[in-house]
Amino acid sequence: MEEKIANLVGMAKDEISKVTKEADLLNIKAKYVGKKSEFNTLLSSLKDMSSEDKKIYGPLLNAKKKELEQLFNDKFTSLSSSVDLSFDETLPVNLETGSLHPVTIVAKEITDVLKRMGFTVLKGYEMEDEYHNFEALNIPKDHPARDMQDTYYLDNGLLLRTQTSGDQVHAMEKYEVPLRICSPGRVFRNEDLDASHENTFFQIEGMVVDKNIKVENLIYVMREVLKEVFHQDVKVRLRPGFFPFTEPSFEMDMSCLICGGKGCSTCHGTGWIELIGCGMVHPNVLKNGGINSDVYTGFAFGVGLTRLAMMKYKISDIRYLNSGDLRFLEEFEIE
Amino acid sequence: MLISCNRLKKYIKNSEDIDFVKVWDIFTMRTAEVEGVTIKGEDLKDVVTAKIISCERHPDSKKLSLLKVSDGKEEYDIVCGAPNVKVGLIGALVKVGGMISGIKITSRKLAGYPSNGMMCAWDELGIGEDHSGILELPSDIPLGVDLTELYPIKDIIVEIDNKSLTNRPDLWGHYGIAREIASITNHELLELPVLEVPNNLSDLDIKILEPELCRRYCGIKVRNLKNNQTPIEMQIFLSYVGMRSISLFVDLTNYLMLELGQPMHAFDERVVKNIVVKKANDKDVYTTLDNVERKLNKDNLMITNGDKYFGIAGVMGGLDSEILDDTDSIFIESANFQAGSIRKTAVSLGLRTDASAHYEKSLDPNMCDFALKRLLYLLQKENPDMQIASNLTDIYPNVLEEKKICLEKNDINRYTTLEISDDDVVRILTSLGFKVKVNKDNYDIVVPTFRATKDISMSADIIEELIRMIGYDNIKELPMNINASSKVWESIWDSEYKVKRLLASVFKLHEVHSYIWYEDEMLNKLGIIKDGVRLLSQSKNNLLRDDLSLSLLPIVKNNFKNRNEVNIFEIGTVIKNNENHSHLSILLAGDEEKVKDKYMMAKEIVMYLFKAIKHQNISFKNAQVEAYYKEDKSLEIICNGKSIGYILLFNSRINSYVGKKKIIVAIDLDFNNFMAINKDEKIFKEISKYPVVNLDYTILANKDLKYQDILNILDEFKNKLIMKREFIDVYNDHDKLKYTIRYEVGSLEKTLESEELEKFKNKFIKHISEKGLEIII
Repeated sequence: MEEKIANLVGMAKDEISKVTKEADLLNIKAKYVGKKSEFNTLLSSLKDMSSEDKKIYGPLLNAKKKELEQLFNDKFTSLSSSVDLSFDETLPVNLETGSLHPVTIVAKEITDVLKRMGFTVLKGYEMEDEYHNFEALNIPKDHPARDMQDTYYLDNGLLLRTQTSGDQVHAMEKYEVPLRICSPGRVFRNEDLDASHENTFFQIEGMVVDKNIKVENLIYVMREVLKEVFHQDVKVRLRPGFFPFTEPSFEMDMSCLICGGKGCSTCHGTGWIELIGCGMVHPNVLKNGGINSDVYTGFAFGVGLTRLAMMKYKISDIRYLNSGDLRFLEEFEIE
Repeated sequence: MLISCNRLKKYIKNSEDIDFVKVWDIFTMRTAEVEGVTIKGEDLKDVVTAKIISCERHPDSKKLSLLKVSDGKEEYDIVCGAPNVKVGLIGALVKVGGMISGIKITSRKLAGYPSNGMMCAWDELGIGEDHSGILELPSDIPLGVDLTELYPIKDIIVEIDNKSLTNRPDLWGHYGIAREIASITNHELLELPVLEVPNNLSDLDIKILEPELCRRYCGIKVRNLKNNQTPIEMQIFLSYVGMRSISLFVDLTNYLMLELGQPMHAFDERVVKNIVVKKANDKDVYTTLDNVERKLNKDNLMITNGDKYFGIAGVMGGLDSEILDDTDSIFIESANFQAGSIRKTAVSLGLRTDASAHYEKSLDPNMCDFALKRLLYLLQKENPDMQIASNLTDIYPNVLEEKKICLEKNDINRYTTLEISDDDVVRILTSLGFKVKVNKDNYDIVVPTFRATKDISMSADIIEELIRMIGYDNIKELPMNINASSKVWESIWDSEYKVKRLLASVFKLHEVHSYIWYEDEMLNKLGIIKDGVRLLSQSKNNLLRDDLSLSLLPIVKNNFKNRNEVNIFEIGTVIKNNENHSHLSILLAGDEEKVKDKYMMAKEIVMYLFKAIKHQNISFKNAQVEAYYKEDKSLEIICNGKSIGYILLFNSRINSYVGKKKIIVAIDLDFNNFMAINKDEKIFKEISKYPVVNLDYTILANKDLKYQDILNILDEFKNKLIMKREFIDVYNDHDKLKYTIRYEVGSLEKTLESEELEKFKNKFIKHISEKGLEIII
């Protein structure tokens, strides 16, 4: 009996695997599990068996019949579908993606972390007046600081801004304290181009004005920003610096990520990379912005976005960034 | 700026306690950036004073001499090539086994004669560039003494970043640096000896006609001088800090500038008559010391003598008053000029000198007479018989008084949580030259004038002094408390980023950055003449762009060298009507046969942007555009009745500029106008619960009609059963075009009856045929 069942199942499986047409499959199905099939004959012979045999063969026959029916159903599904599966799934695809400019990506990362700390992102003006670029920032006419930044003056009496710092003034004019703003943007300096000098590059300005803002807050914010950009903990240190619009003024260095602070060619052996100019907002600047410097203090910072992008992506030549050369740009991600 | 630690040591009491190699790390953290520390004289060994006791010509050589040299104990045979060898000369002998510039000297044969050592020149000792002959030391020098013991050859030279000293006029001399070091290391700064002038002679005739530009002028005449050799110590110092030794008088003025930061000038007294400080006449020509003719302008401040130009104030003297070898009396100028005026003059003449660089920093006018007396003191040491020939004449119309600042104690903690005690305040400020009186709630502070010319004027400046000397490295970081108001909020930057991301991710475009000015070369090649805002004093590429798409063409052109398709965008500033405008330009460039694909892609991008960002539908209309675009293929983009931008096709001349058989479709959006469009907030739209019917119609039209014409006719057909209308396709059929349009017809209330459908169909067919079109059913 067992042998008979096994044979029957074996034959049925064999025929199912060979069949290619739905009609043939129907015939085979009738032959094996239909009303007049051998399986049914076997099932009807159960009633003549001893009660012991019934207990053994009844469940076995039913199980095998179910198994076959499932096989028939699967085969039906596969025969009725017209999908051609004869393709080579190992063929390659030519992936084509768009790309964002590396400066955009770095600016996004910085503004994201600043926004988490309550900053608003503003956008300033590339063509700017002397007042916002210099005077309001405590840089009067004939101040040597105007020489430090070779300015592009325009024939309409305006200039191309040399720094995003003017956005501090715009922000104070537009909004009231407390203020927490940052402003990424393009700036211009009349310099000859080489691997590390551009006349058109990006900075991000930041400014916080409130009661009780201290140097300690500045350090915290800057370190958090750098941590976000470089995706690792960085150490920072403040050194004396000089900017007419901050007092005290600092240069902020970041521990060199190449050597981990031990000293290498990138950091000129010092273990530190000069990265951010910052300081406490100069009382004159607050005054120019209509803010009472006896009540409020603030800090401001300017980070070279272009420089940061170059460090992050280890870009060897600044001229790539404004070249529009897609061989360079298409390597950058969209996110 | 280069600083000699040997000099600094002379100004600081117990300076031997200071590690002058390590202290510069702290200096960087407290004062200004140190760029490098160089150890001098370490590579010298066994260089001693020695006298030439015999000197013979080498029989076969014109240059070489055979010397016998004595160090007082032994005699050495030396072959020497220097021209100035002579018996009795005391020079520097490098003994066998000794070293100069790191090179070991051995005993060897030179041109057939043994040479046991070497007599050396200054440059071989690492001092200066003089290689004209061997050292000639004073005849009273003892023999056999190690040169490094005799002279300050062993030194530490420090380079300080000039930029980080911009705001510190007091640090442009060694004495100022010494004051910082003394303060940092808690040492005492020594006072400098000067020569007091009795002023019992007569005043010189000095006049200042421009008291705003020349704040002070001190002068004195000194006679009975010899322009001797500058002491070797001073020569070494000058060389180490990057100056050439010229003659005693000139070297002394330079030395004073290096010591106190005060530029000085020595004139040959024999030509000095009366000094007047005044402005130059426009277009006058004047020959400066360097023998260059300079064209002056009326803003140049000049020193005149007997109605003739004598020097350009604070920049450079003239040829006719130059110190000569036989000069035996000098007139010394120690003056103070206004920084801005000097800077302007130096820039306009293209003549930046050490003196002008110092004056540009706003020097302390109270330094003038002190520096002059200091110079006299040093001059007298070299010329004990000198005679003061006039009063120290001091014209100082507006005396700079010391500045007083009252610092509230509470104020310090508005800037930092650092606790600074009264003792700290007094110690730090006193060591920096301030005077402090401690009161209960505040400090009365007197600012020394050498810090008051521009650097220190208010409390915040004093606080900087205090915390930098406590050390910024002692400040711990602290998160900010959140102020939860959201009054200040702008979305422009976020929106820009959103748009950029859509363009890069959905349409696979690449973001580029370009310049804000046009490339002249491109404009010339294309024959495009534009007017607009220009950069001053730039002869090339000086026109600011008013069309972002046009300014991006060179980028397209360059990329076509490596690829067939260039799909790029930039959000950038253009200048129109003297205003900043933010524009988005998208360029889709490729082969000619792709022109329709590119154009349709451009339409899709524009519609997608408005839909995805603003939930707005837009319409297009024909536009008037610049001549470098094809007018009949230009569409103006209209949203809510407002023009927001254009879809453009560059004309064939431009296309061939970027590459052979290429086309460029451009999208230009005024980004601020785009951002200003209100987002259409979506309201839930009911979906019909009943079946809807799709009705496809093919409309036959003449080829002179565009889809827009068909669309206008379709728009006129209004029926409440229309739920949606779709354009399916357009085919060419001989001389006609076949447009297939699909209507989705239905009702929200019920299933449509067949009569209602029939009625709709008939109405539509009637409308179309009334408009002169034919429908194929």
